Amino acid sequence: MMHESRDPLHDPAAPATTPAQKPAAWQGLMRDMFSTGIDKSPSRMRIAALGFFALYGLVCGKLIYLGFRPDPGTGQHAAAKAVSASRPDILDRNGEVLASDVKVMSVFAEPRKLIDKDEATELLTAVLPDVNALELRNRLATKKGFVWVKREVTPHQRDEVFHLGLPGVGLIAENKRVYPNGPIGAHVLGFANIDNAGIAGIEKYIDGQGLADLHTMGFAATPEDLKPINLSLDIRATHALRDELNKGVEHFKAKAGAAAIMDVNTGEVIALASLPDYDPNKPTDALDPLHINRMNVGVYEMGSTFKALTIAMALDSGKINLNSQLDARGALSFGRFKIHDYHAQNRALTVPEVFTYSSNIGTARMAMGQGVEKHKTFLRKMGQLSRMRTELPESAEPLYPKNWSELNTMTIAFGHGLAVAPLQAMMAVGALMNGGYLMTPTFIKRSEADARRSAEQVIKPETSEAMRYLMRLNAEIGTAKKVDIDGYFVGGKTGTAEKVIGGRYSKNRLFTTFMAVAPADQPKYLFLTIMDEPQGLPETGGYATAAYNSGHVTGEIIQRVGPILGLAPRFDPPHQPFPLLAKLGYGMANAPATGGHGH
Amino acid sequence: MLRLFNILAVVLLITSAVYAYTIKYQTAYRYEQIAKTKIEIKAERDAIAVLRAEWAYMTRPERLQQLADQYLPELASLQVPQIVTVTSIPERAAHGDAIAGKLDAMGLGAGESSATDITGSIPKTAPKSAAKPDPALSTASTRKRQKP
Repeated sequence: MMHESRDPLHDPAAPATTPAQKPAAWQGLMRDMFSTGIDKSPSRMRIAALGFFALYGLVCGKLIYLGFRPDPGTGQHAAAKAVSASRPDILDRNGEVLASDVKVMSVFAEPRKLIDKDEATELLTAVLPDVNALELRNRLATKKGFVWVKREVTPHQRDEVFHLGLPGVGLIAENKRVYPNGPIGAHVLGFANIDNAGIAGIEKYIDGQGLADLHTMGFAATPEDLKPINLSLDIRATHALRDELNKGVEHFKAKAGAAAIMDVNTGEVIALASLPDYDPNKPTDALDPLHINRMNVGVYEMGSTFKALTIAMALDSGKINLNSQLDARGALSFGRFKIHDYHAQNRALTVPEVFTYSSNIGTARMAMGQGVEKHKTFLRKMGQLSRMRTELPESAEPLYPKNWSELNTMTIAFGHGLAVAPLQAMMAVGALMNGGYLMTPTFIKRSEADARRSAEQVIKPETSEAMRYLMRLNAEIGTAKKVDIDGYFVGGKTGTAEKVIGGRYSKNRLFTTFMAVAPADQPKYLFLTIMDEPQGLPETGGYATAAYNSGHVTGEIIQRVGPILGLAPRFDPPHQPFPLLAKLGYGMANAPATGGHGH
Repeated sequence: MLRLFNILAVVLLITSAVYAYTIKYQTAYRYEQIAKTKIEIKAERDAIAVLRAEWAYMTRPERLQQLADQYLPELASLQVPQIVTVTSIPERAAHGDAIAGKLDAMGLGAGESSATDITGSIPKTAPKSAAKPDPALSTASTRKRQKP
């Protein structure tokens, strides 16, 4: 502090600063600064220290600034974020590849690093002729760190772009999703877009399982980390099914058709096809409303196939049994409506006869015997009144009357007035066949034990066996003779619904369904074929009802798919196919069917 | 003494320096190798993925069916009656050895001992009847007998 008191600026002993003395004080300061007197040293030291402090402060400040500034990012870094991520392979139940990733090169640019944008545009469009020059020029004019020039270029184009040697233009490997089987199984697989994000079907389901979250969090999963997904589909069976369906749709000039095979014991969908379909390698085709998955997205009145549900309900309640008689003399009148039978017998029918003659009157009477509430409760329990949710994101809400009257119950009993997704009807019929376990269909491979764990017992095992007996009987002597393939012990049910055109049921626009189970004694596979407006042909006698078209196709499918699915044909009919029924005193169920009625 | 110690120390120093240098460069080399191999593995994996996709594309059922229709017109798809159980297959009729039959006709027959079953193997009973333990030996001897 001693030396400070000698500082002339602050020295109290210094003369007061009058305006006249100011220049003198300034000169004094300068002299102090540059004089070499040893007494001036401390103040110089201080000035110098201040200078250095400021300098280093500046450097530090800049460093901190640079540290905190967001990373401008190199092109490669930005590109790694933008490229389409890896997806797990999708395999069928036997390990055949259904969807896989292959590497393709994409061209990107970093506009900030481009020296001559016009030249770059010119050269790039010369190599990549399908890139719009004007649009590319505009994209390059932005101040972004990263823009795509063209994605998924050919190897030849890749080499040409590389040889251009443009600074700020780079190549990066991307994943491209390929579907080697084309349209086979397309409706189940769905597809992924150019960024490899799942848009539909199982592809979207996979994203929902956490893959998308992983990507957004920046963990670009490598193909090695991703376990392939095994679907329940069998690609060979699916092809055979689609091929037979395609033949049928063409032969009967139907507007559309769909078919599916389900394992009744696991709820797995083994094969599914809906025509017309699309190639998932060309995703734009999938948007055509004609190409929807009719099994899962369309809702239809299933016609007589639904009678199986009504009969199962009546049998399960114990109110009727296989020997009960139902009055089918003449049409059933309700108010101003009259319910007729297509194969009218005009007499009392037993329950098996109601099924094999596909009697509307008989089933309507059974449903009436239960009442509206019980009917609704049963259908709800069978999952027919709410939206069925599988792994596929696409689904449809069933359509049913808001004010459910007795008349509705009567018509719904034979499959008119309630529209459900065909796969949903399969779920219910599957439960009628497999011993009474209702299991939501799945597209992912699963074991019987897993399926049983989530399944709910909806009907008694005896009822299920009675239903199998009826299905088998119907294939032997009833309306489903088309599917009685020797050796497979098939059971089946036809369904023909008149389509509603302009609010009225149309007599000549039909929607036909066919449900078959094989083998009927030890149920394994459930087959469903639906056809939209098939035409009557000379060889069918002009008839366009289900047995002639959907039934025929189902028969062809069973014959062709049986060996693929390892369904062993048996040439001696099973000795006692329905043991529970025999115990209940229906010995006739195990005897060969007699009589030759029905169509 | 002190000089020797100094020299030793210098030599030790140089050796350790050279050793450290080699280690360092070897490590760098190995790192490079690892990086290269990793790139190669990645390329191979990508190639495998492409080949698998291509295999699936080439063996898709639709194409195979087309090719079968084109090149194997005489083959129809499998019909259910073509499938039979193992038990329903009749036993194959015991057919004689054609050459042995001719030899027999010429009066050069080797008799029962050389009879073979349809698979061409020597029946178990043959060596016993020939009283020879080795079937190979027995055939060799029968052949010898046939020679003259």
